Amino acid sequence: MKQLFKTKWNAACFVLIPACIGINYLGKLFASVLKLPLWLDSIGTCIGGILGGPIIGGICGAANNLIFGFTTGDSITLVYALTSLGIGAAVGIMARLGHMKTLSGALLTACVAGFTAVVISTPLNLIFWGGTTGNIWGDAVFAWSQASGLPVILGSFLDEVVVDIPDKFITLLIVFTIVKGLPRKLTSLYELDDEVVSLD
Amino acid sequence: MALIEVKQLKYRYPHTEKLALDGIDFTVEKGEFIGVIGENKAGKSTLCQAFVGLVPSMFRGAYGGKLFVDGMEAGKTPVAELCRHVGLVFQNPFNQLSGAKETVFEEVAFGLQNLGIPRGEIIRRVEDNLARLDITEYRNRNPFDLSGGQTQRVAIASILAMEPQVIVLDEPTSQLDPQGSEEVFKVVEALKHTGITVLMVEHKMEKLAEYCDKILLMHEGKQIAYDTPEQIFSRDDLDKYGIQPPVYTRVSKTLNISKSEWENKEYPVTLSQIVELKEDFPKKLTGRTRLEYRGDEKQEELFDIQDLEFGYTSQKLVIQNLSLQLSKNPTALIGQNGAGKTTLVKLLKGLLKPNSGRILLNGEDISGKSVAKLAGMVGYVFQNPDDQIFKTRVMDEVMVGPLHIGMSKEMATEKARWALEMVGMSHWEQENPYDLDLSERKMVAIASVIAMEPKVLILDEPTIAQDDRGRKVLGSIIKKLSENGVFVLAILHDMDFVAEYFDRVIVMAHGEVISDGPKESVFYEKESLTLARLEQPHMARLCEALDYEGIFLTVEDLKDKGRE
Amino acid sequence: MKSISLYVDQDTFLTRLHSFSKLYYIVVAIIIPLIGGSLGLYGLCLGLSFCLIIAGRIVKRVLPLIAFSFTIILTVFLIHGLFNQENEQILFSLGPLIFYQEGLLYATKIGLNILNMLLAFAVFVLTTRPAVLVDDLEQAGFSPRFGYMISSVFQIIPQMMGTMNTIMDAQRSRGLETEGNLLVRTRAFIPLISPVVNSSLINTRERAIALEVRGFDSKQKKTFLQDHKLQREDKLFMAFMTILLIGSVIWRITTWL
Repeated sequence: MKQLFKTKWNAACFVLIPACIGINYLGKLFASVLKLPLWLDSIGTCIGGILGGPIIGGICGAANNLIFGFTTGDSITLVYALTSLGIGAAVGIMARLGHMKTLSGALLTACVAGFTAVVISTPLNLIFWGGTTGNIWGDAVFAWSQASGLPVILGSFLDEVVVDIPDKFITLLIVFTIVKGLPRKLTSLYELDDEVVSLD
Repeated sequence: MALIEVKQLKYRYPHTEKLALDGIDFTVEKGEFIGVIGENKAGKSTLCQAFVGLVPSMFRGAYGGKLFVDGMEAGKTPVAELCRHVGLVFQNPFNQLSGAKETVFEEVAFGLQNLGIPRGEIIRRVEDNLARLDITEYRNRNPFDLSGGQTQRVAIASILAMEPQVIVLDEPTSQLDPQGSEEVFKVVEALKHTGITVLMVEHKMEKLAEYCDKILLMHEGKQIAYDTPEQIFSRDDLDKYGIQPPVYTRVSKTLNISKSEWENKEYPVTLSQIVELKEDFPKKLTGRTRLEYRGDEKQEELFDIQDLEFGYTSQKLVIQNLSLQLSKNPTALIGQNGAGKTTLVKLLKGLLKPNSGRILLNGEDISGKSVAKLAGMVGYVFQNPDDQIFKTRVMDEVMVGPLHIGMSKEMATEKARWALEMVGMSHWEQENPYDLDLSERKMVAIASVIAMEPKVLILDEPTIAQDDRGRKVLGSIIKKLSENGVFVLAILHDMDFVAEYFDRVIVMAHGEVISDGPKESVFYEKESLTLARLEQPHMARLCEALDYEGIFLTVEDLKDKGRE
Repeated sequence: MKSISLYVDQDTFLTRLHSFSKLYYIVVAIIIPLIGGSLGLYGLCLGLSFCLIIAGRIVKRVLPLIAFSFTIILTVFLIHGLFNQENEQILFSLGPLIFYQEGLLYATKIGLNILNMLLAFAVFVLTTRPAVLVDDLEQAGFSPRFGYMISSVFQIIPQMMGTMNTIMDAQRSRGLETEGNLLVRTRAFIPLISPVVNSSLINTRERAIALEVRGFDSKQKKTFLQDHKLQREDKLFMAFMTILLIGSVIWRITTWL
């Protein structure tokens, strides 16, 4: 259990976080340049979680939304800081459990991350905007659920499922491909069991 | 006790088997200037990082032996403590900015703030070092908006402000243009006279020979020799270690002129040493007689550029009224940063569209073709390989281009093999490109373009970060492709390299071509070179100092003809 | 260099105000209507934000933010006006669409809340330089390492964006298509994002070295180049906000009684 949340608080981790936030931003930017119907704005958060562990992942996610919320005036982003924190931490935990080594593990991680996002976002949606998400497809589902008399909470839940799950699946597939190709020189900076061996 | 004592230093990176440092053992006295040479991956940077304690505290792995700086053991002192005594400056100017400060002033103050130095003292030290590095005028600029040379000076100022006793410079100019390098070398020269102890890794042997008291020669992590520059550069086995001695030494060796006729011959290593021995040199040499290319020679034109004009904004033109014919001779495009060289080649590649004027390729206007369509015809290798590499195997990366332009899988594999062989990377086929170092990744990027078999190959700064071996491989690629009828056009800053491997030289300044012709004539048009703020190749300058008339571009020109 | 921050560099009452005063304003402006529980209090807070925005000469910058939030507010109105489960009282109808009073009232509350949050944040965001905020936080005892992390984001993102066009050019040069149908565009994503991720992560290795050699891990107490203390204006401003806050609590209690 201790290993699971162990975090190294060195310079390497503190430069990793801004880089991950930058990657989130670029992911979103490329998705919009290519006109893809996805956000792809949590690639960096996931990488942060995988390299630095659940705590760094969580910080990447939360800091991402807080920083953008407080500087670009996007207070809507701000509300979802908790969600991003959850995603980063969830991916971090899954990676520490060894699931990001195989494709099937990555898909499982995607499920966990997507589910975490849904569970955290749904109450936020209810509190702040009465259940909608601002995504056209998701909100269509929400409108349908309300029209057919389902409880608000279920409608909002479905809304979020439609929005988040596909996005997280694609995100984690991309992350899986990228992380597999990271140089050893880099990943070894973030390894946990690394006593310096004496050659004398 | 000496200021620096290195005793049987050994180090191995995690997950590797080979020692990166293997039994390094030397001492340095206070105020000495030490050079470190060796081919890429010889362990030079690892040694630099051991000096500031990052090896092993940050990179972990396996460590042995001892390294003392002023009595402190580097392997056991925290980096935050050691950094008050030893400063480190490395290759990439932008990566050594803290990345969190908005002005040059704050950037230089960053380290001092971390160390908790009183405010008044910080301001004094920052002011002093800004003045010392001649960057006071940029104090309120964002460090990321500066040029490479300016940024590198900010980095040096940031380190010097911490007032270390020892400064370690790890190839501080290898990623800079000539003007930036010159700026940095000026600083290094000034450092030599301040009494600070300097350890410098560098590929520009002429500079090292000038500055160093002693040179450490490394190879595959081992210490080969530690001696004076004259002794080191007079060795006969340097080729084995991937080192090319300074041009002055090579000339003296060729003409067999040494400082002492003793058992171990010492050849001159600097220009001033040669001038001292001027009496011993032949009175007259004729130099190069044959021309590899004549400007007036009628040749089939490949590119015909007519009245080209381009600007990124409508107010400021980067390229003005440029007309140029390019045929198949290997051509070098030289000039300072901002002269418009990269813009010109991007126009040739179709990545930018001209404001006015036309570019014809084999008589056809390229403006009608998309970049992806031109891909198979015109290959362009970007300066930074990391802007393109995305596959996890070298082989896959090289096959990307061929597959995109419609080759079959078998064909693409075959071409990729051939291209990798040409750049000398065949044995890395199955590796992850990002596990290789920068110079090797550059070779992979070149291979990935060559594999598409373009008729035109454009190279942007291929020699940056390459050692002597890498430069020779590049030279052979240029030769081979030219023989196969491929037109090679390269943007270069390294005049010695241009003099050796190219036929035609185009000098650009402020968006215009100010000189164009065979290298034998362009390199002797001093006015246009001065205007473009460029220098002649070392060889030309040396022979001028010796009062030789005639054309000398490479050391081979000495052997060429007419010794009297 | 293009900044991602919306901060407008000018000298006004608001830019001179300490960042903590403005943060306090956000908190107060958001919770007053929630405590008071009346639509009128939204009006009060919105009015207050508007006054500050005008005084801070940032009206022009606020408008696009409002325009952006309108699409969200509109969906809320549509969905709740049409489908809210409390809906009973028909208010009006547009063709086949029937809008109900309960849903619209609910949507108004949410809409006003969104708008109120947005404006309160705008007052802060448009008048506070990120570097100053970080400095203020650090001087109040926030860890300098986290401070570094925040400032660094502002320097790194414009850098990374700068590489975006180069990467697109480099990949197109090798024949990659970035336009076309969804499949073609989706396929282009990895070749574009992967170099950014790899090079920025590789750069972190060197940047970590750069930080270490400049005493980033030092245990010493960090020196600040400037002191940021709360001025008289800050204290007055915060006192005024506190009075409003207490007022709203009293309002709530009296309406209960």
